[in-house]
Amino acid sequence: MSIEKRMLARELKLIAARPGDILKPMWFLMLVISMVPLALAPDSGLLAEIGSAMIWVATLLALLLNTEHLFQSDFSDGVLEQWLFLDRPLAWLVGLKLIAHWLFHVLPLILITPIAGLMLSVPTEVLLALLITLFVATPALTCFSGLGAALTLGSTRSGILGVLVMMPLFVPVVILAAGVLIRATDGSDTLPLLALLGAFSVVAATLVPIAVSAAIRLNIGGSN
Amino acid sequence: MGWRWFHQWGSPRWFYERAGRWQLVCGWLALILLVVGSLWGLGFAPVDYQQGNSYRIIYLHVPVAFLAQAMYAAMAVCAVVLFVWKMKLADVAMQSIAVMGFAFTALSLISGAVWGKPTWGTYWVWDARLTSMLILAFLYLGVIGLRAAFQDPDQAGKACGILVLVGVVNLPIIKYSVEWWNTLHQPASLKLTEKPAMPASMWVPLLVNILGYYIAAAYLVLGSMRAIVLQRERRATWVKELVSRA
Amino acid sequence: MLEFQFASLAAFFEMAPHGVYVWPIYGLGLLVLGGLTWVNARQHRQAIRMVQRNLEREETHES
Repeated sequence: MSIEKRMLARELKLIAARPGDILKPMWFLMLVISMVPLALAPDSGLLAEIGSAMIWVATLLALLLNTEHLFQSDFSDGVLEQWLFLDRPLAWLVGLKLIAHWLFHVLPLILITPIAGLMLSVPTEVLLALLITLFVATPALTCFSGLGAALTLGSTRSGILGVLVMMPLFVPVVILAAGVLIRATDGSDTLPLLALLGAFSVVAATLVPIAVSAAIRLNIGGSN
Repeated sequence: MGWRWFHQWGSPRWFYERAGRWQLVCGWLALILLVVGSLWGLGFAPVDYQQGNSYRIIYLHVPVAFLAQAMYAAMAVCAVVLFVWKMKLADVAMQSIAVMGFAFTALSLISGAVWGKPTWGTYWVWDARLTSMLILAFLYLGVIGLRAAFQDPDQAGKACGILVLVGVVNLPIIKYSVEWWNTLHQPASLKLTEKPAMPASMWVPLLVNILGYYIAAAYLVLGSMRAIVLQRERRATWVKELVSRA
Repeated sequence: MLEFQFASLAAFFEMAPHGVYVWPIYGLGLLVLGGLTWVNARQHRQAIRMVQRNLEREETHES
């Protein structure tokens, strides 16, 4: 079996062993979304206005909290060390891991956002824009949170440091996505912004794994 | 000059011995410049016809804001030097600059907010400059926090180096996107970028203050670096000799 | 160019109507610069003390 197929098989095995890893972020998202009207008022007109923004932020948080342990099981099982000796560049393997994570952990999260949207009375055009922006932006977000996870890999005491360290870097993505959502509400052209968002994701997906692999090498090599 | 001078920086001992003098010079120079500059700006620069006397905060706010950004760039330079030339002093510099840079960023935010109160009526507005400065504060905090998560200083240095390099590449993107975001949501009535040309009687003291704060930053970073060098090189013979002599 | 802008020293400190904004900020600036200097000095002293303790420990080991 090729290395790539082995990685895929391992990912599926991990998911089967701990399905909670996928369900918990979705659960988190729904809980946070439920807090919003409680913090406002059930009939508040604001709900529809800020609904999409709240969903975006809540999804962002759910993604972040989940990705924090991205490399944890691979690290403790010794799989990461094996990666160093495999016949592939480490950045490539990291990229594969991030893609797998996005497919199996982030995508399900995105797919339940319409439910959250319904609960917050988000208008349909905005809902569609929400889905598309999340779809396009989350690859970049996944890569960056992977970097946070890799940097804090060795230290058990770091808590949510990986999340804290990476969040400022999300600002351009959040702003661009918000721009798309606003234009979707207006009805004006969202394509140029989406293209920009997509470009950012592509560049991030290409370059960030390099930084991630440097961080992994740092934390594995030095922890002896 | 050239390479030999450059390679001397590889020696913490050489640095420690010289930095003491540099620190002293910078300290006095900064003190003089800041006292002169501040008094000048506070008492002798003309009153602004729009903002009255509150604008005098800029003699602290502007230099400190410039520094906050310049110091992050300086950290990025340190990271490059660390990775390319494996110079430990570059990591020591990065560590010092992170703390000082954060302090200046915080000062910039607070002074900006307090300046905003008489000017725009509220302590906080999400304008491009303040928002970017806030994100910069978080970026600094991240670097400081990440260093604390490591026991081994070499590992810590490399991890922070990676973070700083990723951050510095993203900084212009962040700044640009925040400015763009601001133009989207800015009601036309709020004119937050008032920049009529400044008369010389106003910007000359500003220059003095900028110079003063930059040299003060150098003084602080040098002081911090010397303490860190002593601590990191505590097992070295030259350190033991130095301490037992004192 | 160098003309004192205030009628008196008291007016200078009051800096109406914005003195309550301007002076605390400069005070904070002074505090920050001074505070950082003090922190550096303290770290320096602590480093020296650490080395001294190590030296003493080595001497007692040798004797």
